[in-house]
Amino acid sequence: MDLKVLRATIGKEFQIRLRAYPVDFMVGCILTSFYTVFGAWMMYHYFFRKRLATDFADLAGTSDYMSYAIVGSLVYLFVVRTCLNVSRRLITELREGTLESLMLAPFRRTSYFVGNMILQTIMTLGETVIAAIIGIFFGLRIHEFCLWKFITAVLLSLYGFFGLSLILGCVMIYARDTYVSQNTLFAAIFLVCGITFPKEYLPKILQMIGDIIPVTDSLTLIRSAFFGGLSTDRFIHIGIKVFIAGTVYVFTGLPLMKQLEKITLEKMEG
Amino acid sequence: MKNFIKVLIAECHKQHRNYFNNMLIYVSLFLWPLLSFMASYYSYKAFDVEGSIVSYISGGNMPVFLLIGYMGMSFFRSVVQSAWHFSQERQGGTLEYIYLSPASRIAVIFGNALSSVFEGSVAMVVFGMLLIFYNKAALNINLFGLMAVIPIFLCASLCWGAFMNACFLYSRDSDFLFTVLEEPMEIFAGVKIPVNIFPQWARLISCIFPLTYALEALRQVTLNAAGIGDMKKVFIISIIIILVLFSATLITIYVVERHMRKTGNFILF
Repeated sequence: MDLKVLRATIGKEFQIRLRAYPVDFMVGCILTSFYTVFGAWMMYHYFFRKRLATDFADLAGTSDYMSYAIVGSLVYLFVVRTCLNVSRRLITELREGTLESLMLAPFRRTSYFVGNMILQTIMTLGETVIAAIIGIFFGLRIHEFCLWKFITAVLLSLYGFFGLSLILGCVMIYARDTYVSQNTLFAAIFLVCGITFPKEYLPKILQMIGDIIPVTDSLTLIRSAFFGGLSTDRFIHIGIKVFIAGTVYVFTGLPLMKQLEKITLEKMEG
Repeated sequence: MKNFIKVLIAECHKQHRNYFNNMLIYVSLFLWPLLSFMASYYSYKAFDVEGSIVSYISGGNMPVFLLIGYMGMSFFRSVVQSAWHFSQERQGGTLEYIYLSPASRIAVIFGNALSSVFEGSVAMVVFGMLLIFYNKAALNINLFGLMAVIPIFLCASLCWGAFMNACFLYSRDSDFLFTVLEEPMEIFAGVKIPVNIFPQWARLISCIFPLTYALEALRQVTLNAAGIGDMKKVFIISIIIILVLFSATLITIYVVERHMRKTGNFILF
């Protein structure tokens, strides 16, 4: 990995974020997370009057529905933000007309994407913290915090999300569309990855789709760092699964992206 | 008037060709509402549904309740999306031409909204079919009521779409309207949670969305067999909302044009 390119990418992206794009977008994302939490809160407190299904506690590993849903929506916010920006990067360069100059520069793909990911992670962390503070008002409580599990879970999740963004980026640059592909993926993640309800409620086939998206397992890990309910052996087992899935995504994503760039550059004017 | 209709049809036709030039439109029309519907349906499973306090919701007709909600939602969403697409005319550089031409602005805006009402109707028919096949027993339809509700529903969505279109014309940075007005619609308009169990302050917010009334009327006639007489209040409110939205659209168009004249270049203000 080329550190110079990495630093330059972070610097460049930060400038772009600061100067060209307004704060609206950030506010928009926090609002999205707020709505999800708010919807869950309404359902829990007003619609069903705190009456949970009997199997919820077993499946979720905690009987605190609000904390369960809030942690889910925070992770969802994280996925949406990182995937959105990392995978949209190249197609945005194409639209802004800078893709050609980027390709002419001594540009290293890995450093470029990792740089984007790092910047995005830092920015999203800020947003997640704000969203978490909102979450506390809606009843977010941490029952059994475990630091090493938390750090491991976050690092593994970032790796998995990075892989996912690369694949989404490939789809975007191939279809030259960001709107439909990103929103379809996000809607699907919301459904199959157990964001606000345990994925065991879903039919088998949807559960299988959920299993190949690293978000599901990352979420299980992060939740267990907050609420417990998962043995260390099981934690390590799921952690390895996320790592393998992430590796598969990253190592198919990067070469595929390289191939697709060529196609894009060829038909750029078409 | 002849001119108005000419422009309306032309814009409708143009937008239709614009949207349906690839298959991806079907994804946003059918797949997205279906995915959100399923997400809500399964998130209900975390609760003890039989213990809900709303009389017409039980394990059996809960999917129907939700399906009607998402049907209406997908309809309104498609008109909001049309506004978003319309704002791309600015980037495409064609907005200037529309403003330079003698075409009536209001006709252009309504034409755009109307074309997505047609699309929405297709989605609605499919959802409706699904509903009937899925659970005939849970439905309790009053046919005359339904006949009366549907045109009002269409008019409300048309006016809402036109109003959104006019708002999006104001500035290139109006994307945030999408987040502010679209997502809360799903919660506050009672798509997945009935409005009548909301706390007072939330009910105030839900008053803003025409979808709230449209869904209430639609559910009353399909689940409770309510007749026209039972829903006088909803009808009157809907008509008032339609009128308010229509005049708001007219005012916004006027304000937008004045703003554009003042700030100069149409594309870059």
